[in-house]
Amino acid sequence: MAYLLGKYVDFLTQRVTFYKSRTSLYADFEVEHLKDIDDAANRKIELRIAKNARLYATADYEASDKKEVFEGTSKLEIAAYQKKLRMRYRIEREKARRAIAKLAEEDKSGEQIKLIDQNLASFEASLAEELEAYKAKRHIAFEKSLERDLSKAKPTAQELEALKSRLTADNETYTAAVNAKREAKRAKFVRSNKARIAKLEGKLNNFQAKLKVQLERIQQDSYALPEGVILRAENLCMFFGGVKAVNDLTFDVKQGEIFGLIGPNGAGKTTVFNCITQFNKPTSGHLYLRNRLDEVVNLNKLAVHNVILQGIVRTFQNLEVVKEVSVLDNLLIAAHRQYQSNFFIHMLHLPILRLEEKVIRARADKVLAFMGLSLYRDWYAWGLPYGVLKKIEIARTLMADPHLIILDEPAAGLNDSETVELANLIRRIRDEYKCTILLVEHDMGLVMDVCDNILAISFGKKLAQGSAKEIQSNKDVQAAYLGAPEEVER
Amino acid sequence: MAQLLSLLNTITGSLLTICVTMVATMGITLIFRTSNTTNFAQGAIAAAGTYVVAYLAMQYSVHYILAILIGLVFGIAFGLFIDIMIFRRGKNINIVGKQIITMGLVSIIFGAVPLIFGAQIPPQIPAFIDGNFSISMLGGELSITKHSVVCIAITAAVLTVLFVLLFKSKWGLGVRVTASSEYTAGIVGVNTYVITATSWAIAAALAVLAAVMLNAGNASLTPSFMTKIQVSSFLAGILGGFSTFLGPILGAIIIPLAISVVGWLGFINPFFQSWAEVIVYILLLIAILIKPQGLFGKVVAKKV
Amino acid sequence: MNNRFKNEYLAHTSPRPESGWKAHAKRIMSNPLGQFGLLGLLLAITQLLNIAGIVPRSIMTTIAFVSIYSIAAIGFCLLLGYSGLASLGTAGFMGLGIYLCHYGLQEWQISILPAFLIAGIASIVIGFVVGFVSLRIEGIYLAIMTLALSEIIVKLLKTIKGSTLIIRGVNLNFFGIPLSNNAVYFTIIVVLVMLLVGTANLINSPTGRAMVAMKSSVAAAQAMGISLLKYRLLAFIISTLFAGIAGFFYHAYLPGISPTTATILTLSMSLNILGAVIIGGAKSLWGTLVGTFVIYGFQSIFLQNIAFFNENPAFMMMVTGVLIILVVMFYPGGFAQMLFTFRLWLKKMTKKWRIYRYGIEE
Repeated sequence: MAYLLGKYVDFLTQRVTFYKSRTSLYADFEVEHLKDIDDAANRKIELRIAKNARLYATADYEASDKKEVFEGTSKLEIAAYQKKLRMRYRIEREKARRAIAKLAEEDKSGEQIKLIDQNLASFEASLAEELEAYKAKRHIAFEKSLERDLSKAKPTAQELEALKSRLTADNETYTAAVNAKREAKRAKFVRSNKARIAKLEGKLNNFQAKLKVQLERIQQDSYALPEGVILRAENLCMFFGGVKAVNDLTFDVKQGEIFGLIGPNGAGKTTVFNCITQFNKPTSGHLYLRNRLDEVVNLNKLAVHNVILQGIVRTFQNLEVVKEVSVLDNLLIAAHRQYQSNFFIHMLHLPILRLEEKVIRARADKVLAFMGLSLYRDWYAWGLPYGVLKKIEIARTLMADPHLIILDEPAAGLNDSETVELANLIRRIRDEYKCTILLVEHDMGLVMDVCDNILAISFGKKLAQGSAKEIQSNKDVQAAYLGAPEEVER
Repeated sequence: MAQLLSLLNTITGSLLTICVTMVATMGITLIFRTSNTTNFAQGAIAAAGTYVVAYLAMQYSVHYILAILIGLVFGIAFGLFIDIMIFRRGKNINIVGKQIITMGLVSIIFGAVPLIFGAQIPPQIPAFIDGNFSISMLGGELSITKHSVVCIAITAAVLTVLFVLLFKSKWGLGVRVTASSEYTAGIVGVNTYVITATSWAIAAALAVLAAVMLNAGNASLTPSFMTKIQVSSFLAGILGGFSTFLGPILGAIIIPLAISVVGWLGFINPFFQSWAEVIVYILLLIAILIKPQGLFGKVVAKKV
Repeated sequence: MNNRFKNEYLAHTSPRPESGWKAHAKRIMSNPLGQFGLLGLLLAITQLLNIAGIVPRSIMTTIAFVSIYSIAAIGFCLLLGYSGLASLGTAGFMGLGIYLCHYGLQEWQISILPAFLIAGIASIVIGFVVGFVSLRIEGIYLAIMTLALSEIIVKLLKTIKGSTLIIRGVNLNFFGIPLSNNAVYFTIIVVLVMLLVGTANLINSPTGRAMVAMKSSVAAAQAMGISLLKYRLLAFIISTLFAGIAGFFYHAYLPGISPTTATILTLSMSLNILGAVIIGGAKSLWGTLVGTFVIYGFQSIFLQNIAFFNENPAFMMMVTGVLIILVVMFYPGGFAQMLFTFRLWLKKMTKKWRIYRYGIEE
């Protein structure tokens, strides 16, 4: 019975997520679509104004204007003609070269070569003549047409004025019409969108109410996390057969801080992260997370592919970037859970999928711009340099609207300047995305620089926790990992 | 009692199949571990070699032990040809690509054999030794064909030599290193070319040996007569677990044995007789579900 | 008005979107519905030509069979190329379709649509089972397991009822209208195009990307919220469903079933489909179609017209085998890679020719 109830609660939660995601999708889409409507309307107006300007210009001109135009266009056309002639010349030149090369082998007297050169020169001359003939022809044609035009009656100043006012009036009416249409479209869209969102929100509230009722019924004894703590590990143990990778570890991570985990190799740092993300189910112990909705979630109850829904994202020590697809696709994969369409919709490419793709691709572009990866957007991830791949890993975590980011040895393989860049990046991410960051690192410079709170572990057990200064001066940590002060100074 | 006797008789009757499967599986395992590919052409190469032996022995009256040796040499040559001419020349063939190449080889062999040897079924190679051993026991006769006994001896000898080579010689060490990682083996100085070439050569020779044993034991020779055995060897490989060399051999003992034992249960209900294979396959599926790496396999886990 | 005057002003406005037939063609070609729709149109026209007597029957049969096998190959392409899962059970799954069509129409006397549904549902169930199994077993073990599974299925199907019965279009009724061979052919074309479009759409959607992620790195996929169970199930269900549909149409097109039909349902057939996908290019749908044609249609359509092969049919098989080996050896990416390499070569050759003709400009 309790199982069925649990399944019902899961269903309700899933529906709530679905409707939430849809409402935010339509909200984002609204921004994009309104922009599109505006762009289209503006373009229309531009085209119309340009057209009217042309009409006026063709009515009101002087012979000198025409001459100017003629000079301009003829430059282009003569250049094009010249290029054609040049190509013909080059064909001849190559033929001549090949002939000369053959003759050079036979070592004939210079006569035949001279003959060939002469032929080439005369060909060039003939081409130059052609060019001049072409120019002359154009000029004559222009003069003729100018004569013809001048012989026609020119519109009087009054007529020009009339034309101008007519065109200006036309501009204004058209602009007004287009703007009116644009407003109508905007209003209609906003109305229908709001209606859609309202309907979805109605359903959302409905499900949320039901969910609340069910949750109260179940009366989950929710663990009480103290204020400001976002993650708590309590007596966490992870045993792999006889190996005690994590042995009775307890620590708190505060909201919005950058938390570092240090220790010698084999201390169990990556295992702690694997336990938090449920990649390995802990042998015993509790893990509590305060998620975005301020609820306390028991992480051990989550399946590994649902951890991301709570806002926990991670990078991997051995970069696990999908090499077969482009960088943009990697980010879209990271946003996988934000797509609410099922696979039938995918198979038929229904409009809702295009909507989702549009919105999520816009988000991906933003993240790429933030990380400075816009150049690599459409490149295959295969063959990209290590530093770029690392950035892609981090960009992936940003796609999923992160609440808690776990970085597994982010500075591995980076030199000093790159590490400083990384430190700045981490701080920027924390400030921009308002999330908490956990990191494992061996580079003590980075750790001491960036981390607010550091936990040192060894052989799965906690050694010390505190600020950078405290850790540096802690005797146990020095003995196990950092080295005593004499060694450090050298 | 009579049932027990018939069980023992069934087992002894299937001894030949067990030997043949063991030898064939050794070949499959060797190629799978060193070239990372399942050799779908195993049966075809075996059949082709047997055709050679059959024609030499029957048509041209070559002494048939010599004919068998020539057949083995043919197998070795074919194996070397496949590795040197095809796999080495190709550019970056991935694993599935190699499998497809072996599949293409099957087409070629199936096409070539009737062309070269004619379409009719060749006369059979005589059994290594005619006649049966009969042991009176349990109120009846337990008979083992002498051919089976000879085959057991040959199989035992060949496999023992191979295993000694694998685990005691430098070549064997090279094979085991290449089996765990070809790239790293090359880096540490193992001549992977020699290793893969010799593995293919040995595997092809083993295939021909198995087929010859089978043909001499009364199976008629067609290009596809080793297909059943080939499928059994693949299944034996996964039952035993490809991560060891011994596992598939044990699997190769278990599967034909299981099939004949389940068939023997036909005396309870003829259903068992006709569905023996299916039942064993289902049991195999269950076994693999319980131990995904094979009964004797080692679990490989990736560090994240 | 003077044209040139106008033109010059026109030259300063913003570039218009391309119009004309070239742009139209490009737009059609980039849309999967357009691409495969054209293919379907082409095949349908072939059938019409056959009815008109221009195209001989043998070519039609070959094309029909290539289309049928393509349906199975497409599903396999999704499974192998995009989800990275190996399966050698295609023969058994096709057999499921064949025999269910036969039993449905002959034994249980139901009309074609319910029989089709039954075949589809049975395939989905089998796909479910294999999908669940694939969570536990991986790689070569999974491949050989599917082989064992397909052998079990074939054996089951062969012996449930001895099948020596032949039906000749008697029971092929679609709501009472008796179906001719041509009608079945058109249905096959329509289904093939629909499935092609559906698969192409799936590949370019979040589902397709999730499958590629799953293939590339299981840990990363899980960390990004992709449920392995769901997508492996999906991959296997699609692949077995397509194979079942292919088998169903195989029997619908060729209603004479006999014990020898069952002999084609062997490891050989599964390997042929695998081969078709690989030599076509594991991630390319068009490549898969070409690969299927090479394996199943090349012999009948091209080689049989050459006198040499007509006299020595054994050589045809050998030539196909040699072709497969050569393609895999030198173009591991299949025909798709070949096309790509060809385009690059064409570019290089054009550049070389230009240098020969025009010389290098200083």
